[in-house]
Amino acid sequence: MNPGRVWTQARKEWTLFRRDRLTVALAFVLPLATLLIFGLAIRLEAKNVAVAVQDLDRTPFSRAYVAGLGESITFAVVRPSADPLAALHAGRAKASVVIPPGTERLLRRGYDAPIGVYIDGTDVVNAELIRNGLEGLAAASVPGRRPPVSADVRVWFNPGRKESLFIVTGVIAIVLGVFPPLLSAIAMVRDKEEGTIVTAYASRLTAAEFIAGKALAYLGVATAEWCAVVAVAMLVWRLGFAGDPTPLLVTTPFYLLAAIMLGLFVGSRVSTQAAAVQGVGPVNAMLTILLSGFMYPVSNIPWPLSLISYVVPAHYYIEVTRDAYVRGTGWPGVWYAPLALAALILLFFAGAWQSMRRMQLSR
Amino acid sequence: MTAEVIAARGLRVSYGKVEALRGVDLSIAQGEIFGLIGPDGAGKTTALDVLAGVLEPSGGAATVLGKSPRDARDDVGYLPQQFALFADLSVDENLAYVAGLRGVPRSEYEERRERYLRLMGIERFGGRLARQLSGGMKQKLALCAALVAAPRILLLDEPTTGVDPLSRRDFWRVIKSLAQESLTIAIATPDLEEAERCDRVALLYDGEVRRLGTPAELSAALGLDRLEIRTRSIVAAERAVAALGDGRGIEDVQSFGDRLDVLVRRGSEFDSVLGDELARAGVAVASIERAGPTLENVFVETLRELRPEPPFVAFPRSRPPRPVGGVAIEARGLVKDFGPFRAVDRLDLTVSYGEMYGLLGANGAGKTTTIKMLCGLLPRTEGTVMLGGQEHDLRSPALRRRIGYMSQKFTLYEDLTVRENLDFYAGVYDVPRAERARKIAWVLESSGLEGHGDTVVGSLPGGWRQRVAFGASVMHEPELLFLDEPTSGVDPLARRQFWRLIEAFARDGTAVLVTTHYMDEAQHCGRIALMAEAHKVAEGTPSEVVASVPGARSLDDAFVAIVERAGSRAA
Repeated sequence: MNPGRVWTQARKEWTLFRRDRLTVALAFVLPLATLLIFGLAIRLEAKNVAVAVQDLDRTPFSRAYVAGLGESITFAVVRPSADPLAALHAGRAKASVVIPPGTERLLRRGYDAPIGVYIDGTDVVNAELIRNGLEGLAAASVPGRRPPVSADVRVWFNPGRKESLFIVTGVIAIVLGVFPPLLSAIAMVRDKEEGTIVTAYASRLTAAEFIAGKALAYLGVATAEWCAVVAVAMLVWRLGFAGDPTPLLVTTPFYLLAAIMLGLFVGSRVSTQAAAVQGVGPVNAMLTILLSGFMYPVSNIPWPLSLISYVVPAHYYIEVTRDAYVRGTGWPGVWYAPLALAALILLFFAGAWQSMRRMQLSR
Repeated sequence: MTAEVIAARGLRVSYGKVEALRGVDLSIAQGEIFGLIGPDGAGKTTALDVLAGVLEPSGGAATVLGKSPRDARDDVGYLPQQFALFADLSVDENLAYVAGLRGVPRSEYEERRERYLRLMGIERFGGRLARQLSGGMKQKLALCAALVAAPRILLLDEPTTGVDPLSRRDFWRVIKSLAQESLTIAIATPDLEEAERCDRVALLYDGEVRRLGTPAELSAALGLDRLEIRTRSIVAAERAVAALGDGRGIEDVQSFGDRLDVLVRRGSEFDSVLGDELARAGVAVASIERAGPTLENVFVETLRELRPEPPFVAFPRSRPPRPVGGVAIEARGLVKDFGPFRAVDRLDLTVSYGEMYGLLGANGAGKTTTIKMLCGLLPRTEGTVMLGGQEHDLRSPALRRRIGYMSQKFTLYEDLTVRENLDFYAGVYDVPRAERARKIAWVLESSGLEGHGDTVVGSLPGGWRQRVAFGASVMHEPELLFLDEPTSGVDPLARRQFWRLIEAFARDGTAVLVTTHYMDEAQHCGRIALMAEAHKVAEGTPSEVVASVPGARSLDDAFVAIVERAGSRAA
């Protein structure tokens, strides 16, 4: 590889990128907008779930129970209807609670006192949360009837269980895994589509130099995006390092390069910008969001789909960002991430090189 | 004999099933200017791609400077047909990129950049983005880029297509001076006047070299003489010559605006009798001159031997022809400003039904802007336009149906087939359903594309696309036809075909306004106007325009003199 030619290629890419004002603006606006939308909008825990309560008992116990529901963060009590299911049908409530007459009396005599609960199961995840919440509340409202064995839980890492820590650290990885490859893929395919690649073909520039030059230029762009995204995350969510920042600082360039190389790989395999944008846009974004462990653990993904997650660069980087900002364990927990990303860089590079290696027009 | 620097032996290239080159042998000596001519799709670009090392041949061998073309790339400058530099980079940035790729040392780069930019006369535009350059300047930049690595061989693929005569002269001046510095140049061109300036020429046809030699050798080998007949009544003269029949040694007749070229067998005494014959037919002849055949004659005669000439198919009219005469297109005081820049300044012109009116001018003189304003695609800043008797509602559907427009850029959908494109345009222009099949069949037949209706337009050579685009713009039988450089990049035989079609439409009463860069084509027009720096600087029949410039022998000379005069006045 001739460094002079790589540099020439990189400088040309950088100049072209810089010249297109709209692309430059979008390169920063889109990642930041995505970060803010995801960071502010995604809430995994249900809050203020509307519960219609029909208190037919009308005793101090039942009133205390209803008051307890209203005080919890999870639930909000709404006006009941005559028919407990009507509130669910009308969409006014996600759950309907019926406290039958004589509940307090049964309890006082030492019997079990069933309370009727209907839960809207459309949203599976929330239905489960509502159920757990309502059961917990019911158990807690009768003092002195604790089960004989109980778990004494203490939350390690992220003790305040701040959701933003979980989401935002993931979104940083998602954003950097989605936008830089889009830019690099377009840069790759544009040369072919506009015929300007013939100028490179007519020189001794090798495929490796061609790819390396483009990667170098977009590594600069992606690094700038990373700085912007992290700076905003620190400002808005008070994101700070939980431990040694070295793993993050070492892994980030690997991650950015892997993402860019993925774009170059796709760009080298297709011949139009339209195809490149579809491949690196929706498809890559979907895989990155769904199969990287951003929302649910990779271990939940069934085989053979789980195999795809191993070539999704964000899968490794999310581990590193979450460790850096939340767990703070450092290298022992994430030592493999830069290695895995380096392997992906080589894989994508080889794929791009394979289709460019002749540096000639195809017959 | 000087050293052979380019050699090809039995070169073959196939794209899938299509054979673009089928066994080409070439030998080009150092310092030679070698021309490649041939119809569209003959394999000129493919041959240059192989020599430039950007395309691997499927058979045979090519050597450049004794090496494989790939290994010789450092010593070869290539100017591809399609502009391959970056529209969003400045002139300097583009040159720096190419110099960097080719490892030109910094100090030498600066010196060469200055030298070549000055040589091409674009040294003032170093900071300008390539997209803001005119077509001619873009090609000059591309030539500078091909030269910046100080190559020993220069490969040029149609470098002057879409370039005005003035810039074309600059181009050839540079090419000649480079050849004197013993640079070897291979150039593909559709312009046979240009090919006359080459040391040797190879005529490619269907992937094979069919003629090879100096222009003089090729012309002499034809065994024909060319008689230039000047007369005011071309149509009558052409009819009279045709009536004389084939038995008298007439090989070819071609009409130009006010001149008829008749090719006769060498030694025939035909010219002495021709004057009498024409006089007997009642045609007043101004002069008859005997001259040698041109390369264009060689080209046309060779191709006629090789393939049946695409038939001239009369357009299947569904309406009776319109009587000739009466004002069809009129513009008074036409002005167009783009911000502070005045693209067209107080232009007047009139075109009658049945007239072919040519609008000539350098790149950026305002021709395309004028044509776009006339057919209502671009709002005008000032002035009046009358189209087909109408001064208002120039965009009304009724009027638009009477107008045909073929733009400079391809207006066809590259991903649709020829037939799908024609179907689409027939629909857009309201060609009656019952007639569509007949009209589409005519386009296919007259452009020699019978049986290729299901070919995707993107895979056709440029010249054929132009023919389809022309067909698409006339299917609805327009009374007013606007053609913006319809024959740019089209080979000579196809160009003749084109002009015969256009002439046929004019004879049927269609008013034709056409722009072109080819001066020989402008000869087909009854009247021409020359534009320079937004103004009309000359108008008249081609002969009148030539006569208006003292010492000018051709329209080309006149063009250059008039444009230069206008330029110096503006400066």
